[in-house]
Amino acid sequence: MPLQGTPHEVLAGLGELTRKVRAAQRGTWFPLLLLGVLMLGGILVSRFTFQVLTVPCPATAPAAGVGCTVVKQGSPLYWPIGIALAYAATAFFYIRRSRNRGVGTPVRPYILTGIALLGVVAATSFWSTRHGIPRPGEPLDFWGLHLDPSSEMTRFLERLVGNATAVGLPLLVLSWVERSRVLLLLTAVYVAIELVPLPTGWSGIPFTSPWFFLPRYAVPGVLLLLGALGFGLAELPRRRNAS
Amino acid sequence: MTDQPEQHPVTGLDDVVHQRVRLGILTVAHQARRVEFGFLRTALGLTAGNLSQHLAILEKAGLVDIEKGYEGKRARTWLSPTPAGDRALRDEVAQLKRLIHQIEHGSSAPES
Repeated sequence: MPLQGTPHEVLAGLGELTRKVRAAQRGTWFPLLLLGVLMLGGILVSRFTFQVLTVPCPATAPAAGVGCTVVKQGSPLYWPIGIALAYAATAFFYIRRSRNRGVGTPVRPYILTGIALLGVVAATSFWSTRHGIPRPGEPLDFWGLHLDPSSEMTRFLERLVGNATAVGLPLLVLSWVERSRVLLLLTAVYVAIELVPLPTGWSGIPFTSPWFFLPRYAVPGVLLLLGALGFGLAELPRRRNAS
Repeated sequence: MTDQPEQHPVTGLDDVVHQRVRLGILTVAHQARRVEFGFLRTALGLTAGNLSQHLAILEKAGLVDIEKGYEGKRARTWLSPTPAGDRALRDEVAQLKRLIHQIEHGSSAPES
């Protein structure tokens, strides 16, 4: 126990002990794995809920009076249920790990964030189920906010209240709870991918294809899974040393 | 009216906390919030008897809470820092930093 010597050496020893405890508390790979799988699952949900609908075009559109094509994809239940299960599994994982390793876990802020987020995601899903698909050119009335669906601001807000918050915020809280700069960096990259509109032209998938959303979910999903793999591999030597 | 001489930082060190094993225990408990006897013993490289003695001193001083129980058939002892324990650790680290400052600069640093 390197806690003797000069005051400098004593403080360095305390820092070393703190790092040892933090290392034992970390389990970052597990929530990353779950969120990555959840994200990739979104591809299948989008594929199997894909519908092409023809709705009357608005009077102001150039094709007024003719039918406009609208694509409907996604389930209102997938994200609320998926996120709830991911949170419950993560909480269970951390608590069980804490018991096995004999060291407490500061996972409470993560769980509280999850409960709050679940409310937001459920409210958004409830809104979209209740209001159905907005017709092309029709203004969006979202909980009192009058939004123009074609404006850049509305699209940014859509991305912000979507996965950027539902997955990015818990990762941010987790990087704070675990005092992990690497996770903070991964979270920043993830949020940037979600907020900056990705050009999907490179994939060659047309707008009317059931696989149109594949790059939208695959890129962040693979990033999260690679993160899980990296954190998992980084934990292996520590686990070997502990056993 | 006479000026009070400035106290040397070593006079601010608490003997209960400053002992190296107990300082280690408080540091681990502060970071973990709740820590099991076995983890503490491994992390600090101590024997069970030695650790128990130091825990008894810290508990008597009101710096940690000790909770004994069972998980299945296995007896387990958990400890967590009390608010006084957290405060004592903070004060100790602040005094050590002041001491370092005094050694390096020849005068005491402002309270932090």
